[in-house]
Amino acid sequence: MQRDVGSLPLSPALRARLLAAGFQTAQELLETGPCGLSKEIGISREEALEALQVVRQECAGDAAKTAGGSGSTRKCTALELLEEEQTQGFIITFCSALDNILGGGVQLTKITEICGAPGVGKTQLCMQLAVDVQIPECFGGVAGEAVFIDTEGSFMVDRAADIATACVRHCQLIAEAHQEEDHLQALETFSLESILSHIYYFRCRDYIELLAQVYLLPDFLSEHSKVRLVVIDGIAFPFRHDFEDLSLRTRLLNGLAQQLIIIANDHKSAVVLTNQMTTRFGQNQSMLVPALGESWGHAATVRLIFHWDNTQRLATLYKSPSQKESTIPYNITDKGDQNHSWYSRDLQIPALTSGLPRCAASTCHPKCRRY
Amino acid sequence: MATKKLRRAKLSQELCERLSRYQITTCQDFLCLSLLELMKVTGESYRNVQKLLRKVSLACAPKMQTAYEMKVRRSINPSAAFLPTSLHSLDKVLHGGIPCGSLTELTSPPGCGKTQFCITMSVLATLPVSMGGLDGAVIYIDTESAFSAERLIEIAGNRFPTYFDSDEKLFCMTRSIHLYRELTCDSVLKRIKSLEEEIISKKIKLIIIDSVASVVRKEFDTKLQGNLAERSNFLARGASLLKYVAEEFSIPVILTNQITTSLSNGLAIPADLVSPAHDLSLSEGASGSGKKESACVTAALGNTWSHSVNTRLILQYHDLLTRQIVIAKSPVAPFSTFFYTVEKSGLVLQDGKNLSNLPWEGTNPALQTIQVRNTALGNALLKTTDETPGDTPSP
Repeated sequence: MQRDVGSLPLSPALRARLLAAGFQTAQELLETGPCGLSKEIGISREEALEALQVVRQECAGDAAKTAGGSGSTRKCTALELLEEEQTQGFIITFCSALDNILGGGVQLTKITEICGAPGVGKTQLCMQLAVDVQIPECFGGVAGEAVFIDTEGSFMVDRAADIATACVRHCQLIAEAHQEEDHLQALETFSLESILSHIYYFRCRDYIELLAQVYLLPDFLSEHSKVRLVVIDGIAFPFRHDFEDLSLRTRLLNGLAQQLIIIANDHKSAVVLTNQMTTRFGQNQSMLVPALGESWGHAATVRLIFHWDNTQRLATLYKSPSQKESTIPYNITDKGDQNHSWYSRDLQIPALTSGLPRCAASTCHPKCRRY
Repeated sequence: MATKKLRRAKLSQELCERLSRYQITTCQDFLCLSLLELMKVTGESYRNVQKLLRKVSLACAPKMQTAYEMKVRRSINPSAAFLPTSLHSLDKVLHGGIPCGSLTELTSPPGCGKTQFCITMSVLATLPVSMGGLDGAVIYIDTESAFSAERLIEIAGNRFPTYFDSDEKLFCMTRSIHLYRELTCDSVLKRIKSLEEEIISKKIKLIIIDSVASVVRKEFDTKLQGNLAERSNFLARGASLLKYVAEEFSIPVILTNQITTSLSNGLAIPADLVSPAHDLSLSEGASGSGKKESACVTAALGNTWSHSVNTRLILQYHDLLTRQIVIAKSPVAPFSTFFYTVEKSGLVLQDGKNLSNLPWEGTNPALQTIQVRNTALGNALLKTTDETPGDTPSP
């Protein structure tokens, strides 16, 4: 109630007038009433009423916050957070080694960034995740829907259909092995058509369309509350050309990152971004580094780098708050990303080794960060 | 979409006038400002500004479609999804042929058959749908003046002798291939921008640019500072324009590229030791110490360009007579190689020596090494002197 007039979210002109007239706290405004306000400041009664409604809402919000109710900021103990994290689902990738280094799969409420050279499999993994997020809960999935924002035009429907068919077949195999009621029931609704109809696809041609789409995303997610995955395939592409003003680019990217964090938290969904690699020229050598600059590295919580080692594809966990840095080999088959074995979380079958030695983080450091 | 005027975004007239006083006339200007700046400029409260942002975003944002709708649309018109290349094994692996609606790049050392392939594709695009064509016209942007109309007629006559049995049909085909000679980067970009109107007016079904690399390398010398960024800028702009056109009209776009030498230990070689077209792309150091300078030949135009194209086909030399097509990057096909020769009727696959069904282990498409004529000649000479059935030279 003692809130300063200058901090209220009114229009700047109105604020200036109020301050010039000598109002200092929100309490004074509320006491004056709309008619008095309009006469004193010289604005219409409707405008005065609108301003007072804004003030009242703000003060109510403040009071709720100080009373410890649910405001826009959440307050909880680490124990509550631990319980939440443990019951949270992961989006599995069907590549057991990849899931292991990620700590179970792609985490909800976090931003995961996948960087990689061209042709290494980033879009394939995104399509795989868009299918895997829809796996019913009895099979170990999160039973959600997916939003796919494509900036490069690399989404192939036929390929997504192949991956979806393989996933359905895998679930059918599990159901046959188990013969449980809920498995069979879930399979009735888990089909190719339903999977494809729950992938919401947006094609953004430039960065303005991307920004606009991210502004509209919270409303879309409120309407489609079952969405658990937002994929932005190619966040680098629209920002890498036509930008003379690099500081504007940094500002827009930071704003984008903040909005995505809010979306991930409020709607309990995972956000997956793919990034390109660019060549950086050092003193005596050139290296491949993720694009969009150093400051963008702070945006993602988890960073995966996909790269090549002659003919083998490798995935390195580059940044993670809870998992150790490590590298694993993986392959892309006609069924999507795989690691030479099927595995099921229900059956607890340990993954077969892929035949290639897993490199420990300590020995692969110098090799994995510089190519 | 970005240059959409705010008037058309359904903002009120007075608001638009007020914003234009601050030089904010398009959606792009509006969305690039922060919330505080918007409040200052519009004079509205925080909540109203958020409502305005939503309104403007609605005007710019793309429409939603589900993957299922996309699939249904494709299955209604399956033949329109690909342009078969008439090289049957290649088409089978590519799930139909050159995909429509995305960029396909063809890279090879000089003289391997890029232009021949492009000429063959131009003929194929003019064929009726029943024969596997797209029944439309072709835009051929030629930057090297390598297009030969006589060769076009020779290929058409020899490849489809039953169809092109009369001069009338040949002339009809040649009339639908529109050739543009562009010699500078600016003119190429201008031509790409004008493509939208031409496609509608002339019913174009295929765009070929032969080659992107030659104009770019003529004008951008990567030795000089700042040129690398400018070059990437030009390439990215061209790529996004072409992608827009390809997707909008659902037509294939074929681009050709040249080759460059890349040094494997990644040292930034001082410019005078290296040819002007040197590309400092990095490949895996084969040796542990990484000190040896083993040069290998890869596709030109750098890493960013490799990201922009959707499919990459590499043509390379195998021995004196046969050459290879390699599928280096494709969202639907695994790595594969096919042997072919260039004959009167264009490219002909050698089905006998075909390894088409074996997925071949590939590597980073940006760094895929390509065999040039010298290596092939060298190996061929070795073969004849040793009289051993030489193993396939490792790519």
